[in-house]
Amino acid sequence: MSELLNTLMQDARVWQGHRHVQTTQPAEPTGYQVLDNQLGGLGWPRGALSECLLDAPGIGELHLLLPLMQRMCAERKTVFWLNPPHTPYAPAMAREGVDLDQVVLIHTEDEGDFLWTLENCLRSPVTGLVMAWPGRLASREVRRLQLAAEAGCNVCVLFRERRYAEQNSPAALRLELEPGEQQDLKVNVLKRRGSWPGQRCSLAMAQRADLSFRETTRVVRGPWSGSTG
Amino acid sequence: MLWLYLHFPHLLLDHIRRSREDQGALVIVEGSGQKVIQACPEARAQGIRSGMRLKTAISLAPDLGMVRADETRESRILEDQARWLYRYAAHIVLVPPDGLLAEIGSLQKLYGGLPAVWQTVEQGLNERQLNAWIGIGHTPLAARLIARVGKGECTADKGHILRTLSQMPLLAAEFDEKASIRLQRLGLNTLGEVFDLPPNELARRLSPELLAHIQKIQGTRPDPRAPWQPPHSFRQQADFVQEIEHAQGLLFPLQRMLTELEEDLCWRQQDTDSLRLVLRHRHSEPTRLHIRTSGPEHRADNFLNLIRLRLEQHSLQAPVISLMLSVTRFLSREAPSGQDLLGETQDLNEAWHTLISRLQARLGEQALKQLSPQADHRPERAWSASEVMRKTAAPLKPAEDLPRRPLWLLKGPQALTETPVAWFAGPERISGGWWDGHRVHRDYYIAQLNSGQLAWIFRDAREGWFVHGWFG
Repeated sequence: MSELLNTLMQDARVWQGHRHVQTTQPAEPTGYQVLDNQLGGLGWPRGALSECLLDAPGIGELHLLLPLMQRMCAERKTVFWLNPPHTPYAPAMAREGVDLDQVVLIHTEDEGDFLWTLENCLRSPVTGLVMAWPGRLASREVRRLQLAAEAGCNVCVLFRERRYAEQNSPAALRLELEPGEQQDLKVNVLKRRGSWPGQRCSLAMAQRADLSFRETTRVVRGPWSGSTG
Repeated sequence: MLWLYLHFPHLLLDHIRRSREDQGALVIVEGSGQKVIQACPEARAQGIRSGMRLKTAISLAPDLGMVRADETRESRILEDQARWLYRYAAHIVLVPPDGLLAEIGSLQKLYGGLPAVWQTVEQGLNERQLNAWIGIGHTPLAARLIARVGKGECTADKGHILRTLSQMPLLAAEFDEKASIRLQRLGLNTLGEVFDLPPNELARRLSPELLAHIQKIQGTRPDPRAPWQPPHSFRQQADFVQEIEHAQGLLFPLQRMLTELEEDLCWRQQDTDSLRLVLRHRHSEPTRLHIRTSGPEHRADNFLNLIRLRLEQHSLQAPVISLMLSVTRFLSREAPSGQDLLGETQDLNEAWHTLISRLQARLGEQALKQLSPQADHRPERAWSASEVMRKTAAPLKPAEDLPRRPLWLLKGPQALTETPVAWFAGPERISGGWWDGHRVHRDYYIAQLNSGQLAWIFRDAREGWFVHGWFG
């Protein structure tokens, strides 16, 4: 029994407020040093769910995952996009060095199919990363997905609305994403394994639209009468 | 030359019995539906005999399963058996309605003697749950006659074969009716007595055809037989006595058929990626299912899993009376290539195909897409979605020379409802499509909206403002 408890402690499955445990969980670096530092030097946990909570697309949420996507494609692992809200734009991904042969886009009709597909993708050894945009998810279903992710030891990122931040979730990592002032992405760690949450950091994301510093300061006169840059 | 003849005394009965789960009494009824012509052991145990009137049979066994004899169906089943026998012997002749002839003289060396050939065939028959009487003869007709009276022996000795034939009654010798009556009137009872008659007299007094028949049995006149060629496709059918109402009930016969498909594919050294299932109903149009795997496959288990998934998704629209599985597309089996020392690559390839096939079977082929950029300036046409394929080519280098584009493209442009708070880049004019009628004439800008989203917006020729993408 004590052995079981020890394992739980070592894997940081049991949250201990007074002790900061360095987890030994497998993880994939996010590719952003600032964020990795905030996450205890790890990154996206493998074999567990991660959640990104955001209000609207277009704030740099895909660029947050881009380094991981690039790495997975380079390792010839498949990247699944499950029910994305818009079309992933192929020319942009090709430009970013994502091997499109490894990207599979899946659309499911109903919730049952969604969960079934996600589970199957998570359990497969060919999967590198699964990005999924679920509609409503019951806590029980998130738990089921969590188990599937553990079985396959893959990275799974669920993109959900920010209002779910209040609800608790079995996901191992929960990040709240907000747009910043300088087209950057503010990341708020809501939950992570083995330590206190609440870390905040800001990731520069202006490069996603080629807005170099020089350009951002330059005022481009909008074609709208009376608009200012 | 040595010939082996397989006589299937009740082929249709065996065929139907082996795709049933329950073993109730079953009879085959002649075309007009009056008489029982074949009865299974269970039916025989209840007192039903072939030749009995159907009414009598039903009163003996009220829950009797009945199948009407059907010539086309029987010849199809016989052909299935020929395809199986073709694995063992090259020179096969179909003898409809219930016989198969194989030349085995040339096989003795391969199998290591005649007993080994006999045993191989017998074992195969057992595995296929078929009853057949085997006969061996030095001529096709001799083998046939011996098999049909059930006196087959594993011997290549011509003298012995002729002795067996001589003891055969005249009725078993398959002369035409007129000739056999005349021979009986001459006081002849066995085939041996006919053999002893002088040939000249036989031809003169009876008929030259009769002499030819006798000489073909004896082997003094050539009896050439054209070998049968197997078709280049696989087809199996299961017919049910009772209609099957639930998809679960189809899995049992399917399992046997798929195992035979696997054997067939192994024997061909080929794979397939597409199966066709036809479910026939009594009153409505047959249901056709097309099962695709994403890659070459031959294992029965994998096929069965895919079919099970498909049947779970689409419940049966009507009870099924027969099930046909056919494969016409064969792929050469790939030699394992690109394998590292631990064989990991091959495994992953296989796992990939398994996963994609499973997903496609449940979600439909349209649900899975792969994206690729297209050479067009118009954003809507600069990408395309295609069916998922495993590509083994090396990844392309990042195309740095492509223009900066957003990672999200909206399914269609959406009207811009607010004034952006900041403008960053633009205008970039995209104008084209005059050549195919989908004209695009737009100025694109990158701008930030109130919500903090970075948008790719454009103004069209009519001064309307639209969002076309998000810089995700």
